[in-house]
Amino acid sequence: MSPNPADIGGQAAGPIDTVDHGMKFWEKQANALRNTLTSRKLVRLDELRRAAEDLGDRYYRLGYFERTTEAMRNLLLEKGLFTRGELDGKIEEVRKRYDS
Amino acid sequence: MTPSTYTPAPERRFNVGDRERVKNANPPGHRRTPAYIRGKQGEIERVCGRFPNPEELAYGFDGEPRRVLYRVQFKQREVWGSYAGSNHDLIEVEIYEHWLEPA
Repeated sequence: MSPNPADIGGQAAGPIDTVDHGMKFWEKQANALRNTLTSRKLVRLDELRRAAEDLGDRYYRLGYFERTTEAMRNLLLEKGLFTRGELDGKIEEVRKRYDS
Repeated sequence: MTPSTYTPAPERRFNVGDRERVKNANPPGHRRTPAYIRGKQGEIERVCGRFPNPEELAYGFDGEPRRVLYRVQFKQREVWGSYAGSNHDLIEVEIYEHWLEPA
């Protein structure tokens, strides 16, 4: 069997949570960002899927939006839209604004 | 509305009704043929068109040359060893030409 976390057809799934948990604010923002990036053709859906599969074991430890967002971050770093340093700097800036 | 990316596929290897087998391979990377259908024999149900290869798009390449996509029918009983339903039950999977070989 393929170790690919996106290729699980036919495997035992266990109980399925069918409760609608709604979307948190950050999840809506993450979705909006993802839609903007794809509609502006900065990234493709195929690339986002591949980047999510590349998370390996982390894929299973993350929730749906965490997974897609982490994949998006990795892809944007890979494509050089920003550097790790720029991202860390921005996170620091936002954190300070949030904490103050 | 986004225009359809469908393009006709006059140059193709298979036609409706052809029997073929899905390659039984496990290459690394982003692959669009589910593991459960690899190695199984099926019949071409329709030609879906020619599309940029998603296995290349996934790495930021342009997806050329485009690949012919087929909808392929398989007997459920031949796909799942433990399938208890009718022998007439089918599963249809869309598979790119480079994953298919004549049965």
